[in-house]
Amino acid sequence: MRPSINRPPTPEAEEDQEKEPTLQEIINIKLIESGEKERLKELLRERLTECGWRDEMKALCRAFTRKKGRNNVTVDDLVHVITPKGRASVPDSVKAELLQRIRTFLVSAAL
Amino acid sequence: MSAPNDDNASAHSQLSSHFFAGLLDSIIVDVASECHRIARLGLDRNLEEEEEELRLSAQARVRVADPSNSGEVNNKHVVDIFGQTHPAVANEIFECMNCGRSIMAGRFAPHLEKCMGKGRKARLKSTRSSKTPQNRYSRGSPVSTYYTYSNSASVNRIVNGTPGPTGEEYADGTFEET
Repeated sequence: MRPSINRPPTPEAEEDQEKEPTLQEIINIKLIESGEKERLKELLRERLTECGWRDEMKALCRAFTRKKGRNNVTVDDLVHVITPKGRASVPDSVKAELLQRIRTFLVSAAL
Repeated sequence: MSAPNDDNASAHSQLSSHFFAGLLDSIIVDVASECHRIARLGLDRNLEEEEEELRLSAQARVRVADPSNSGEVNNKHVVDIFGQTHPAVANEIFECMNCGRSIMAGRFAPHLEKCMGKGRKARLKSTRSSKTPQNRYSRGSPVSTYYTYSNSASVNRIVNGTPGPTGEEYADGTFEET
């Protein structure tokens, strides 16, 4: 019975309302709820596969795995391996297309 | 008037870039996760690629250096890339549509030459065989009369020694009796 006294007080419900959701959060919610986020992700995935970006990333992963040993790699390792090159090597056309679509969504969502 | 729009535009650009980066990171994690899975499950057969390449090239070299192989004649027959051998002369037998004989496929072309009269010999053979009956009829009698004529003459000389009209004693009464 005693340990429960040390429990911190339950936060009041009003405290949550004080934290305004940021614009980013609002947009994020709108993207997800409308399904646009999923569509955008699929589009980007498709474009990156078409242009060979995905194969390049996989090759980087394999090279790293060969060096480190198959059973010693973690997902984190691989993410760190491919993130810098991955961000830098997206073709300009692909990036432009996606940015355009996102901007269109922002305008249509009247934000 | 344009200032708020500019702000809006730049805010939009910033937001767009932010969301694009978020999407890209999400896809990067997907790729990393898939590669991790392949690595851990050992699904990548050629992971030790350099070793594999060296091994395969060594094998290929051995095969090329070996003199009794592929393009060269192996035993009796040439072996093609599928490892099949074909005899030098095609040996399927079928019926010639011109003369009806059973012909071996590999000998069909020369056969047709003779059969259908393309060659010199074939043409002569056909002309001779087609004209000989006519010769017999047109020149048949003179030849035979000449024969009987000379026969009787020589027979007379041999038997009687006189070229007299003694032909009547002989069966072939073609000799003129005066």
